[in-house]
Amino acid sequence: MNISGIAIAVVLATFPSAIPIWLAALGETVDQASGVLDLGVEGIMLMGAIAAFVVDYFYHSALIAFIVAGLVGLAFSAVHAFISITLNGDQVVSGTALWFIGWGLSGVIYAAYFGLAITPPSVPTIGSINIPVLTSLPIVGKVLFGESPLFYISILITIALWSIMFRTQFGLNLRSVGENPLVAEVMGVSPVIYRYVSVLFGGFMAGLAGAYLTVGLTGSFYFDMTAGMGFIAVALVYFGKWNPWRVSVGAVIFGLVYALSAELESIYTSVPYQFFSMWPYIATLLIILAVGKSAHAPDALTMPYVRE
Amino acid sequence: MEPYIRMVGITKKFPGVVANDSVNFEVYKGEIHALLGENGAGKTTLMRVLYGLYRPDAGKIYVNGNEVKIGSPTEALRLGIGMVHQHFSLIPYFTVAENVAIGLGSWRNGLEIEKIKAMIKDVSEDLGLYVNPDAYVHQLSVGERQRVEIIKMLVRGVNVLILDEPTSALTPQESQQLFNVLKRMKDGGRGVVLITHKMYEVMEVADRVTVLRRGRVVLNALKGEISEKALVEAMVGKEVILGSPEKRSVPQKGALSVEGLVVKGDRGEVAVNGISFVVRGGEIVGIAGVAGNGQRELVEAIFGMRKAVSGKITVDGVDITNKDIRDRVSAGLELIPEDRLGTAVIPKLSLFQNAILHERWWDPYSKMGVLSISKARDLAKRIINSFGVATPNEQVQAGSLSGGNIQKFVVGRSMARGARYLIAVNPTAGLDVAATDSVRKTLVEFRNSGGAVLLVSEDLDELLSLSDRLYVIYRGKLVKEFLPQFDRLAIGEAMMGGQQ
Ligand SMILES: Nc1ncnc2c1ncn2[C@@H]1O[C@H](COP(=O)(O)OP(=O)(O)OP(=O)(O)O)[C@@H](O)[C@H]1O
Ligand SMILES: [Mg+2]
Repeated sequence: MNISGIAIAVVLATFPSAIPIWLAALGETVDQASGVLDLGVEGIMLMGAIAAFVVDYFYHSALIAFIVAGLVGLAFSAVHAFISITLNGDQVVSGTALWFIGWGLSGVIYAAYFGLAITPPSVPTIGSINIPVLTSLPIVGKVLFGESPLFYISILITIALWSIMFRTQFGLNLRSVGENPLVAEVMGVSPVIYRYVSVLFGGFMAGLAGAYLTVGLTGSFYFDMTAGMGFIAVALVYFGKWNPWRVSVGAVIFGLVYALSAELESIYTSVPYQFFSMWPYIATLLIILAVGKSAHAPDALTMPYVRE
Repeated sequence: MEPYIRMVGITKKFPGVVANDSVNFEVYKGEIHALLGENGAGKTTLMRVLYGLYRPDAGKIYVNGNEVKIGSPTEALRLGIGMVHQHFSLIPYFTVAENVAIGLGSWRNGLEIEKIKAMIKDVSEDLGLYVNPDAYVHQLSVGERQRVEIIKMLVRGVNVLILDEPTSALTPQESQQLFNVLKRMKDGGRGVVLITHKMYEVMEVADRVTVLRRGRVVLNALKGEISEKALVEAMVGKEVILGSPEKRSVPQKGALSVEGLVVKGDRGEVAVNGISFVVRGGEIVGIAGVAGNGQRELVEAIFGMRKAVSGKITVDGVDITNKDIRDRVSAGLELIPEDRLGTAVIPKLSLFQNAILHERWWDPYSKMGVLSISKARDLAKRIINSFGVATPNEQVQAGSLSGGNIQKFVVGRSMARGARYLIAVNPTAGLDVAATDSVRKTLVEFRNSGGAVLLVSEDLDELLSLSDRLYVIYRGKLVKEFLPQFDRLAIGEAMMGGQQ
């Protein structure tokens, strides 16, 4: 295979690989902007993935599958919201618990419905939207105008989130809760309401991200299929400095790293594949090192708000 | 004229203290009402009740003649009452305009920064409250931040503005600017409540004065009707106190000496500005002052928790200015810090582990890096028995004891370590009568056996009853030395910046 062939394959795979981290990271951005860290994204994504798969398998509707996955994610994150906002519990502990539960439960649900089939069951993937004329442009045509609907949805959500966070009273209130909930409350903003809304939204987005993995990308579910994407999404929020635009850029960079490592993995079969699959995680480490202390995190991130 | 706000019979209790005891308080439009009182007199509590942050245990509040219940700051703001707190409540990483805009409009609205800037300009221009609305708050000086706080309230259309010790962190010029703003607000028909410790501020701007002492109103008058002397007397009380009881020893040799000490505060300001004094064995030297005049920085510098910019600290003639804390402890210096659970003990460790916290690296509690638990427990038992610490045993967590018993343990630990120079900061704050008595007795016995005590306290009665000598600290300087019989009034005046 020649270089340009590899390059084209990698570029074509970039956005599809980016979408799940992208969606999850956008949700986590709102979460964290309000001062709540949700480390359970990984588990919520898995729950979304299995929920969407089951729904699509039995009811043959990708749209309903996505909606149900989002709602399952929302319900799951409600547990985290209740523990960390209402009970003032430790957000790290609660998030970690969510991850474990989602990780195990998604596997159990799969086994309960499908058992151990020799040929794993699958559903058709949702395919892509081809925008007429533009799709036929060389290279960029296919990459930018022939993507999965979730690609366009991600862009729309990015724009919407940025506008809400930085151009509305709601967004300012939300960010003030993440910086200093006491100040917010004294100015008439309820930290509890804003944090609940944010955490539930983050859960919904992580559910969608999981649904994309099964119904959107691979058409099947397998155990632990997120393989750390949820944690990479959390790291991306730091890289993106709590700004939806930067978070999106980070997600696309990660999509590129995923696509590249997958492509090289399929070409250099003599190299143990683990060598390539560790790249995204190394990239995560490098990003965290590079961003380091330069970013200003919301001051009240991970701090429960205890009213006097 | 009807007062805009009338608080009647307000009582607010906290565990162990009655912070406000049937307090009556009025605010009139077009007036500046100064609220005075010593540290802990209950000023902040009273105003927090008015601002909806605390629910009173008894009493009524009337606004414009109507009885109201104020359950939250939002309701207070709706009634036209605003408050600027002792510690600023601004978000450093937001701009001035963003800070003003928090919670301002309906959440459904867009954020129209230009409109907010116009509002800021509107309320601030004729009052002379200039700040750049696009600046980030962390870039602003303390004086500017305060202006932002005031603007925040004015934009919400308050009729009455409460300021809690607004000048404590300001330079004299900034204070002057603030007073001009307050006077213009008053001329514009608003009411102002000014909480303060400083006499000249009252004399300069107030129209009406209320003095609180231990939660009760002891004086309420128009400024014109009352002398400065009478005000000070109302604040510090009249009782004559005779100085240290069981006074016995002549100062012995050996001394903790501080010469020309200069120390910076957290924000880089000069907090201790050239302080010199000597504490000899066999005496208790008191430091009196309103909180925030450099006491904390002075103590931290002497004990090595904060760097001295210049000056010299010696113990028995040995220079310890740049030594680390361990060397200071070996030299016989001990600290009884104000923040018991934060600095004096580790709440989650057992008493015996806390007993040897400093000793870790030395015999006999550690042999080649291995702790000798039995020796540590013996030490803890000794402290518990000799200082009457009420605890089931030496293995319970330090944090599970009452404040008084923790303090007895902390003081006892310093004694057991062979302290010769003791710095005690508010050693009886928050303790009940019996614990207070026990701690004070220990300090006096320590003095009588030749120890030296530097007693830094906000409780004037404590200082007057224990000290052999006493200095007043004001704005980072020791402004005056007092000897028994202590002249309470003169000390009070010096603390408030008079008679320099
Ligand atoms: N939230 C609280 N919980 C328990 N006790 C409190 C609380 N707030 C204040 N107190 C106590 O109530 C008393 C009055 O405190 P307050 O803060 O009103 O005094 P103040 O006059 O404002 O003093 P300062 O000049 O030091 O600010 C003090 O004994 C204080 O320890
Ligand atoms: Mg106060």
